[in-house]
Amino acid sequence: MNTVLQSLSRQRAVKLALAMALLLVLVRPTRPVVPLGPQQEVVTINPRMGVHTRLTDEVEEWKIKQTLSMVRQMGAPWIVEYFPWAYYEGKKGHFDWSHPDMVVDHARAQGLTVIARLGFVPEWVRPEDTITSYLDGDHYDDFGDFVHAFVTHFKDRVRHIIIWNEPNLSMEWGYRPVDPEGYTDLLRVAYIRAKEADPQVQVLAGALAPTLAPEGDPEGLNDLAYLQRMYEAGAKDYFDILAIHAYGWTSPPDDPPAADKINFARAELLRQVMVANGDNNKTCLITEGGWNDHPRWTKAVRPYQRIEYSIRAYEKALEWDWCEAVCLWAFRYSWPAKGYRDYFTFVTVDFLPKPIYFEVQTYARGERR
Amino acid sequence: MAILALVAIGLATWFVLARSGREEDETWARIQRKGLMRVGMDASWPPFEYIDEPTGQIVGFDVDLARAIGQRLGVEVELVNVGFDSLYDALYVGKFDAIVSALPYDPLLYRDVAYSISYFNAGQVLAVRAAETEISEADDLSGKRLGVELASEGDVLGRRLQKKIEGLSLQPYVAPQDVLWALKEGEVEAVLVDAVSAYQFIAAEGDVQVIGHPLTDELYVIAVQLDSPLLLKAINEALVEMREDRTLERLQEKWFRVMSN
Repeated sequence: MNTVLQSLSRQRAVKLALAMALLLVLVRPTRPVVPLGPQQEVVTINPRMGVHTRLTDEVEEWKIKQTLSMVRQMGAPWIVEYFPWAYYEGKKGHFDWSHPDMVVDHARAQGLTVIARLGFVPEWVRPEDTITSYLDGDHYDDFGDFVHAFVTHFKDRVRHIIIWNEPNLSMEWGYRPVDPEGYTDLLRVAYIRAKEADPQVQVLAGALAPTLAPEGDPEGLNDLAYLQRMYEAGAKDYFDILAIHAYGWTSPPDDPPAADKINFARAELLRQVMVANGDNNKTCLITEGGWNDHPRWTKAVRPYQRIEYSIRAYEKALEWDWCEAVCLWAFRYSWPAKGYRDYFTFVTVDFLPKPIYFEVQTYARGERR
Repeated sequence: MAILALVAIGLATWFVLARSGREEDETWARIQRKGLMRVGMDASWPPFEYIDEPTGQIVGFDVDLARAIGQRLGVEVELVNVGFDSLYDALYVGKFDAIVSALPYDPLLYRDVAYSISYFNAGQVLAVRAAETEISEADDLSGKRLGVELASEGDVLGRRLQKKIEGLSLQPYVAPQDVLWALKEGEVEAVLVDAVSAYQFIAAEGDVQVIGHPLTDELYVIAVQLDSPLLLKAINEALVEMREDRTLERLQEKWFRVMSN
């Protein structure tokens, strides 16, 4: 009797275990499959339109695809995206490209050209109590190795890389005094390593923050002065294209440039510095810029002005033969910025297109009156 | 063992105190001790707060509101003029005790600040001419021309209404005042604009009326630091009193009338 009972309970236990295993298989969360889909093409009357996307911290693949699909449907063939070094090289020489692969492959499937901004220093490269924009000269080669690895991995998929971001601001230079000569040295290392990996890759000098800060200002240095000092330090041989940040604040895009004024057309003054230094054969890419329509922010404009100014900025890219594209900040955020920054976007966090999206789309289709 | 006993007694004491319901609020204690509440505002948003040019003083709906709250709390009010972008940061670091500055309630900041009940709704309102008899709600807009400010919240709402109301056409203008003038002059039958623009126009120009309640909410509230529960409670009680004795209504009438002049 005992043996029979034991046998029965053993059978039950086996069945129970099988059922549990089946249940686990059925309910186990699996990574949703988001196919790249058929190759798409951007339809636009203005091939120099672009936006800066913010997919660095977007976890869900369908959101990445949805964002890029909406960029394509708006009619912008260019995107700028941020690829933080620390995210991909947690330990020296150990790379994880899974997330950037996802972003780049979906972007390409939507017919978009990716401009990759590189920066964000991992902890293993910098001293304790420093921020992610801190990189001392002893570790430029580590960054060079990362650039080499990035360009190698994304060869034929990413043709444009930007080295650093706004190095003329102290906060973007590890909260140290800004150092155009030091940045030029970093650019040199990155350029040489990038070209070793792929001679065809286009290296963009990091866009400077538009600022009037004079020499000695603890927070930064005037972008025109900074660029001139870069040239004097020999930067000319170490970039192919100049990245530019062109924010209009409250001025329209046709507001004429002036050395003592921050506006969209300040890009022309940076261009003049290039020409003055014999670099007129190179082009520029506006990799950030635009207008904000927050109701109360002091640097914002009315919503209709933001639409008109943004479209005019795209038109100016066609008029400036030295400007390959204008990429406006920012298409969509992964989460709300909780303030005026949310009023830079074209699409809400939950993918609701703002009126500016539809107006730009109408322009790109050549249907705007 | 003795250490364990001490830890247990400590935890028990903390648990009892935490559940005793006794709230502490250093800000409120200081306000009462000094008889002074510091209020932050951006004096560039008439009629809620702006600089009166002849006197150089900050005046407006919110100034009167803050003083009326102070009166009910039995304290003086000191105004601190800070740019709108910096109001929250200034509150976090204790530059003042409360923001009273036509501040829209922001559900995303519920972990950062504590908000009072609302004292004004600046959301989008439906407005028509004063003599209008056919339109008494949004559903009556079929076949009508609706004026909106291009790319504004009213525009977004208008586009949504267009999807469900047959024959509704949108007429965009570049500023709320242009939208309201178009209504008054008969270019459109109705408009969607923010309540502040609508009330200002009505006070100044007349011939226009707002229909019903706002169709969207932009609730003006007072913000205090999260660790100011007693101050928040006192402000809320004052606001309830002011709503019941119609002080809020009178402030609204006063300041939109002032602006019209």
